[in-house]
Amino acid sequence: MRIGVFVCHCGSNIAGTVDVAEVAERARHYPDVVYADDPMYTCAEPGQAAIEQAIHDYKLDGVVVASCTPRMHEPTFRRTVERAGLNPYMFEMANIREHVSWIGKDKEANTNKAAELVLMAVEKLRRNRPLSPKSFEVTKKVLIIGGGVAGIQAALDCADGGVPVILVEREATIGGKMAKLDKTFPTVDCSACILGPKMVDVAQHPLITLYAYSEVEDISGYVGNFEVKIRKKTPYVDWSKCTGCGTCTEKCPSKKTPDAFNEFMGDTTAITIAFPQAIPKKAVINAPYCRKLTSGKCGICAKVCPTGAVDYELKDEVITETVGSIVAATGYDLVDWSVYEEYGGGRYPDVITALQYERLLNASGPTGGHVVRPSDGREPRDVVFIQCVGSRDRSIGRPYCSAFCCMYTAKQAVLTKDHIPDSQSHIFYMDIRAAGKLYDEFTRRAMEEYGTNYIRGRVSAIYPDGEGRYVVMGADTLMGEPIEIKADLVVLAVGIQASAGAEKLAEKLRISYDAYGFFMESHVKLKPVETNTAGVFLAGVCQGPKDIPASVAQGSAAAAKVLDLFARPQLHSDPAIAHVDMRRCVDCGKCIRCCPFGAIEEVNMRGVNKAQVIETVCQGCGLCVATCPQGAIQLSHSTDNQILAEVNALCRF
Amino acid sequence: MPVLEGKELRIVGFLCNWCSYGGADTAGVARAGQPTDLRVIRVPCTGRVDPLFIVKALLEGADGVLVSGCHPRDCHYSVGNFYARRRLEVVREFLPVIGIDPRRFAYTWVSASEGQRWQEVVQKFTAEIHDLGPAPRLEDAKPLLRLADMALTSLHPLGTGEKAALAELKEAIKQKLPELDFVIGWQEGYDAAHTVPLFMKTPEDVDKLVWGPLNVNNPAVYLPQFKGKKVGIVVKGCDSRSIAELLQEKLINREDVTIFSIPCEGVLDMARVNTELGRYTKIDSVTMDEASVTITADGTEHRFCMTECAQGKCYGCTTPGAVIADQRFGTPVEVTPAAHTPPELAMLDAMSLEERMGFWKAQMERCLRCYACRNACPMCVCRDYCISDSREPHWMSQGESARDKLFFQTIHALHLAGRCTGCGECQRACPVGIPILALRQQIARAVGKLFGGYQSGINPEAIPPLLTYAVEEPHIHERDW
Repeated sequence: MRIGVFVCHCGSNIAGTVDVAEVAERARHYPDVVYADDPMYTCAEPGQAAIEQAIHDYKLDGVVVASCTPRMHEPTFRRTVERAGLNPYMFEMANIREHVSWIGKDKEANTNKAAELVLMAVEKLRRNRPLSPKSFEVTKKVLIIGGGVAGIQAALDCADGGVPVILVEREATIGGKMAKLDKTFPTVDCSACILGPKMVDVAQHPLITLYAYSEVEDISGYVGNFEVKIRKKTPYVDWSKCTGCGTCTEKCPSKKTPDAFNEFMGDTTAITIAFPQAIPKKAVINAPYCRKLTSGKCGICAKVCPTGAVDYELKDEVITETVGSIVAATGYDLVDWSVYEEYGGGRYPDVITALQYERLLNASGPTGGHVVRPSDGREPRDVVFIQCVGSRDRSIGRPYCSAFCCMYTAKQAVLTKDHIPDSQSHIFYMDIRAAGKLYDEFTRRAMEEYGTNYIRGRVSAIYPDGEGRYVVMGADTLMGEPIEIKADLVVLAVGIQASAGAEKLAEKLRISYDAYGFFMESHVKLKPVETNTAGVFLAGVCQGPKDIPASVAQGSAAAAKVLDLFARPQLHSDPAIAHVDMRRCVDCGKCIRCCPFGAIEEVNMRGVNKAQVIETVCQGCGLCVATCPQGAIQLSHSTDNQILAEVNALCRF
Repeated sequence: MPVLEGKELRIVGFLCNWCSYGGADTAGVARAGQPTDLRVIRVPCTGRVDPLFIVKALLEGADGVLVSGCHPRDCHYSVGNFYARRRLEVVREFLPVIGIDPRRFAYTWVSASEGQRWQEVVQKFTAEIHDLGPAPRLEDAKPLLRLADMALTSLHPLGTGEKAALAELKEAIKQKLPELDFVIGWQEGYDAAHTVPLFMKTPEDVDKLVWGPLNVNNPAVYLPQFKGKKVGIVVKGCDSRSIAELLQEKLINREDVTIFSIPCEGVLDMARVNTELGRYTKIDSVTMDEASVTITADGTEHRFCMTECAQGKCYGCTTPGAVIADQRFGTPVEVTPAAHTPPELAMLDAMSLEERMGFWKAQMERCLRCYACRNACPMCVCRDYCISDSREPHWMSQGESARDKLFFQTIHALHLAGRCTGCGECQRACPVGIPILALRQQIARAVGKLFGGYQSGINPEAIPPLLTYAVEEPHIHERDW
């Protein structure tokens, strides 16, 4: 074999702490290496051109690039060697940046380590074989999980692009958190007015199938052909008959049912339609509060329903759909702020979350848009807003910024003034993060036009003053003095975290999530929509805190990725999959038993049974290889011999 | 490749591509400084990590091995790390028996977002390896030959089976013979003091069948090659466990095998018998009473009392009767259950790690590489495709080193993890008497400890513990980092 080695300087990123020329020099003495060089930027156009040139000049049949992580540029360099006529799998990378130059300062040790990593790559490459991908058909249909604004946007864009969409929403209506909002910053336009039409479009689009009040139960398969099991939870109402007339909700005697849509700011009925613009506008029975379902006595809704839709015997239904791609858009939930004893730990009725306040401001909310105190229904005069409650707080394990609280707090202060002209808003903030388009202008308006009192500092205690108001004690860190404000209402900008059950869904999708449950994108900067599982994309806050415009943008971006995937006539499978050496196989069946994908089957070869890999199903995990005692099944590109070569390169005395 | 003198030790990392390799990248991007000792081998999944890679690295000169993958439930391939956890735990339990400090191997879970955690793991593990210092090399170990203490008490009465229902058994075999291709048992061998396997096809063959403490071979070893044929087999309790295991692995069909069982009172340790007999030209006679065998060779009488000269495995045997049989004869032997450590394993337990390495070095230098151990093993299913003879994959050299030979024993032992029934045929077949059964017994002990007392070869319907997993492992206690 004739191998060429390219040891990248990466500017000073590698060359700063690794003697790259020395690494290249040592590489010249490695087996089968006929050429070694140390280019400045191997991934840049001249660097890639130099590889191609060297392949021609030195008749190379394998290339090692020692540079950054293969998770970054392996595809780049595989294309490079392919352009020069080599099989893309006759290429190996040695990661001497993330794993060497960036984590150690000792140049001698780094140089030695880099040279050894190159040797390992050379030894592996010497055992590489050319591999070719197989092509397979794609089911051109997408599953979108989550019907908030990000999921809605992704669904509409996909459907407009001609792709059938399955939209699954956990709640009884789509719309997500945005549907609960009154107005949106920085334009202060009505949330329902801009979201409502999109929700209606979802309902009316011929290519969108909406499963509301449903959850994804199981996902199997792989890009192009995922099989998804969806549990349609029973609403105890036959939605094919329900017209959404609302008669049942008027007559329901169980009037003390907590109203989740209104953030528990009021009560609703056991059979309910979340809000007037709900999509689908269908009634759902909240089973633990339904008298008929709990005690067997009642049945009024069934009697009054003009279409006979109420059915107390209705059971959950599990349906199976096959899709080619999946978009996760599961949004967020609020951090449990009751851990903050200094804010009353949830015991004071007039200390509420910003989302609850949003419902008070909203004309379709529990108070019809009148801002009143939950305790006595009185209009507040002094409203204190506290920012970063559960954001940027390491003490409760939430060190990140929730990204949109600064802006909605400013908006809520503006709206408070609009609702109650003689009111005064006070905002305790840590920093004002108003980095978006027209955002800083908006917070300035809140201060200058609306006279909002911005106080830089934290609140140390809230307690009732005994006369129906609350004393808010804090520090004004700009003035360097303590401050006390008497408040009628306190609104907490509670931070956000991944929505409940996000981790479980990530496990089903086989994607990663971070310590807070937010889904991991494939690359923080360059692949913010992709995941490490091919065909699974992210949209909205499930990937990390972001506001509505960013969620919508990511929804469209995810749709673009789906359309890109489906624009190809066929997909190509990774050829790094398992293969059985039929001569060595003794049909013990251990691989078949272990394979997580059912990708190995028993076939009869001239009268004897042998294991055989189903090429389009194998995902290349290699579990079977570690299971097969005689080494009859081998994973291409990670064979026993290749890994042993790496071990031997390192360890042999 | 030699390590950087005085600065570094050799640490090999196996990292899954999706989580931990990404986590190490994240650490790099964050410039999270780490010691330079670790060299990373990228694998698709921790499930790809054959435990043999770990032993290979440690035997070939690594001072430490670290495996890291996705957190449980977060595997890119759903379950690869669950399987890996079981296998890695078994290999960690195995390492000390060959004299390798188990602290030299660790595994953990680091996600792609946990750069800081990766930094901590590398710092901590590297520091631990530096505390342990360079790994002792098998070449440098001081050879140590020691014999196990065989003064043992048995869990059931040992005897010669004089009153066994041999006549009834023969009659039953004769009756069944027309339906079968043949029946496997034992017959007198080249002299009266040894038996050899007997393949009975005619009633006259059946008359040759013998029963007693000289029936040391495990006839189950022949069954897989006759899969599909109607075969009868006479078994001791331990032999029946091999059958149960072969059935579990579907290497034989239950309906094809007819099992005849007589309760076993123990078999002689032929290695010790042959040593006692010494060189002789002729066996004059073999007589038995209930408790002992008297062999007269060249006119000299040698009396072997069963309680003193049984095989090591017989003292701890809990299955003198067959675990699975179609026809049973004679009265069952009663077992008094009690804790029992096999003699060779007890000997190794009492040694230091250094002594164990010296012990295996000395023993492996005696190994002829004849592979009689492999050929006698009823669970060795690879047959002609053993990886010790293969270049594709090329796990072993054909060299003469003790290291290579010990690695072969490791391969055999790990391939038997959760499968070895402790029949002891490997050790019995060894022409130079290396106590290799102890390596398998250590694995069996680890499997029992890790998987709720699991014993292989008891229930043909059981799922082998290394071919399955549990999301929450009740008996595995992962280390904290």
